[in-house]
Amino acid sequence: MMKNKTIRTTIGLITLLLLSEGCSKNFLDRMPTDKLDGNTLFANPMGVKVYMANLYGQLPIEDFKFYDRGWSYVEWMAPSVLTQAFLTDEAVHSQWDVVLNNGGNSWWDPGYKLVRDVNLLIDIIPTLGFTETEEKRMLGESAFIRAFAYYGLAKRYGGVPLIRESQVYDGDVEKLKVPRSTEQETWDFVLSECDIAIANLPDTWLGGERRATKWAAYALKSRAALHAASIAKHWSRSPLSGPAADQGLVGVPATEANRYYEACIDASAAIMESGMFGLFKPNPANPQEAAENYRVLFEYPNAAGNEPIFIKGFARTGVDGHNYDVWYNPNQTANGWGYPGRLNPSLEFVDLYESYASPGHSAPIVTTEDGNVNDYNGYRKDRAYLRFENPYDIFKDKDARLWGTVILPGTEWKGENIIIQGGYVQPDGEAQIEIDNAITVDGTTYYSYGAPDWTQYSGFNPANIQMTRSGFSYKKMLSSQPVTPADRQSITDWMEFRYAEILLNYAEAVAESGFTANNAQVTAEQAINALRQRAGHTVDIPLTIESVIRERRVELAFENKRFWDLIRRREFHTLLNNTPRRALVPLLDLRTSPATYIFVRKTVSRTITRTFNPRHYYVSIPGIGANGLVQNPQY
Amino acid sequence: MTKKAIKLNMIWMMVSLIAFMSCELDNYDMPNASLFGSIVDAETGELLEQDIINGTQIEYIELGFDDPATQYLVVKNEGTFRNNLVFAGTYTVRPVRGNFFPIDKQEIQVTGNTQIDFQVQPYIRVKNVSIAKAGDKVIATFNLEQTGPNNVRKIGLYAHPEAAVGEPLRKVAVEKVLNEPTDPNTTFSLEIDLPSHPALAPGHPYFFRVGALYDASEAKLNYAKAVRLAL
Repeated sequence: MMKNKTIRTTIGLITLLLLSEGCSKNFLDRMPTDKLDGNTLFANPMGVKVYMANLYGQLPIEDFKFYDRGWSYVEWMAPSVLTQAFLTDEAVHSQWDVVLNNGGNSWWDPGYKLVRDVNLLIDIIPTLGFTETEEKRMLGESAFIRAFAYYGLAKRYGGVPLIRESQVYDGDVEKLKVPRSTEQETWDFVLSECDIAIANLPDTWLGGERRATKWAAYALKSRAALHAASIAKHWSRSPLSGPAADQGLVGVPATEANRYYEACIDASAAIMESGMFGLFKPNPANPQEAAENYRVLFEYPNAAGNEPIFIKGFARTGVDGHNYDVWYNPNQTANGWGYPGRLNPSLEFVDLYESYASPGHSAPIVTTEDGNVNDYNGYRKDRAYLRFENPYDIFKDKDARLWGTVILPGTEWKGENIIIQGGYVQPDGEAQIEIDNAITVDGTTYYSYGAPDWTQYSGFNPANIQMTRSGFSYKKMLSSQPVTPADRQSITDWMEFRYAEILLNYAEAVAESGFTANNAQVTAEQAINALRQRAGHTVDIPLTIESVIRERRVELAFENKRFWDLIRRREFHTLLNNTPRRALVPLLDLRTSPATYIFVRKTVSRTITRTFNPRHYYVSIPGIGANGLVQNPQY
Repeated sequence: MTKKAIKLNMIWMMVSLIAFMSCELDNYDMPNASLFGSIVDAETGELLEQDIINGTQIEYIELGFDDPATQYLVVKNEGTFRNNLVFAGTYTVRPVRGNFFPIDKQEIQVTGNTQIDFQVQPYIRVKNVSIAKAGDKVIATFNLEQTGPNNVRKIGLYAHPEAAVGEPLRKVAVEKVLNEPTDPNTTFSLEIDLPSHPALAPGHPYFFRVGALYDASEAKLNYAKAVRLAL
């Protein structure tokens, strides 16, 4: 074998040598036949469209494939293996302690690549000979893309170098170095680019293409202005020092807060007053219907009426599909795929939802007669637990969106009864929790996890990483169809902007700034109550910042907003300060006959506590040795 | 390992042995000086208690370079710091993000063993501390003497098996949010109810420490010394 290989290699080398003999002298100047150069590409209108499609593909849309190291640019592992929810208080991973990597979630190189690519297009548009309308739209789209790129950079790095036109390299690298602008200038640039996009983009695209519209640009402006305003207002919750702070490269003066809040209010109001958008199925007959409506909204965004403002499509299974369905279904509906059950919504997230019985307040899950919800010390024989016939009865009256977002123990999903049980209490009062065991009482055998075989349940067995360890499994945005047990098979589309977010941006900006013109206080209160009404609530609540934030967390859960809300509102370091993660463990109590379910609030097994380092409010700037930029604080 | 893999490994070892034969470790001098010192309450002359994790840091920059890197030292709990691997030279040194009013940077010559003690004004002095076990509880009482006009954000009693206990390193924390200026004559009291904190097991010794956080930019907590109690 070895010998043959050597001979073959030798022959190959000799052949190569002989062949290269015959090459012509301008061998190195030959054009590749499978690639186009810039001039050829831009000479053809189709080429420009292809180029534009590529720019849209580079937008920092934090979709199913987004994760701090992941993005679709660096697929170090199968897409969707992690998601931002793990970094927040929304969810815990069934196996890992997911923490922010040192330096934060970088998007520097892809960001400036997108800026460069869109700048090249902006430069060349006037020379392409398009009609005036086409040219106007193209300028609008370019501005939208550039605004989005700088929004992605500003929220990570603060003030960044603003490259307003494509740079030309003439041999002097120093000329290419642009210092950072202040954070305020960077946000102002994002907003002014949004304004250019708004002025030039159409209301809709005739062919129904998923391209930026005037309304998507307003939505981006609403989101970006809220971010800038929040930093101005909440900077003092966690101020940073050092050269970057002294020069205003991070931080926005508090005096600017209301200007940005008003920009957010204006942009949101434009969408709200356009008459083109509304909530999907705003008046459900009952909470069950509301829960299903809410779930369907994310499974089929394209059929969700006029709620979506900007959708990113996923089309080709196996190529650019995502993996939410294979990683995040509960164990019982894995359909042969080997790695389900990873995304486990946390108890603190489930606690957050209102109950229809007490509108306007979070309704933490009460498990004991004393009503103490701050005891996470596990099962105690002598405590008086509340008893339930079905494991899901404890969630009765909780906001419909909980049922649409989370698979609760004992509820049905894809025709399966999803069994999530952490153990049982023996008739003598001793408990077997997270221990694989069985007991026979009065001739019936009971199993720790609710069923004898691991394929028949979805929770708590520590020997199996497909099992939820929080007591909850994830549902929102999953397909109701059977899982195709392979990589990148999910083609659920992603709503990057939807009407609900605009209502919430508006309400937050109004509540934070105390803005009163144009009846804003009333409109904002109506906005959050419209969302609650869509979720089956019948009693309106007043506008407070607490109610807006709770509503935002509940409505936009798992849409990758929570991470940035905690960043921009400077709440991360107080939320995560030696903070443990919490689980709700259903136990089958065999002290009663028939057996009943009791629940134990406890710390999630095998997890660490988390602390947020305030320097992570900004990401470290890479390559400062070469690019000469001022580094962010404490890096 | 298969025989083939072993053989391949052997070949690689031989190759590396030959290839690196001529290398020296490196030909730079070792750091030849040490920098040590403490953070001292200028009024009382006592060391100022600190945190190791996310605590006060000493920022030092060696002069004489175009674009010098900023280096940091952590401070130990009792308020001292030491780095035995420093290059002799001229530095600017300054403690940053601490639990005292910020001070200016100082230029120092580091040669041999160089000591620098920073005289500072702590935000808060935690005084008359008593931490004791009483029945099922650990009760701490103390007074706060704040040296500036701002609010005290919160006070806390922290417990951990290690002596380096503090707000960032604790098994149990009992905190109270104040957000108001304090009177030096007010006695504050915090207590840990032991039965509801199984993390503190009976029969084991733990360290307890009280702290208070002043409302200032990047302020860290001020502490009294940790107390060891057997439960």
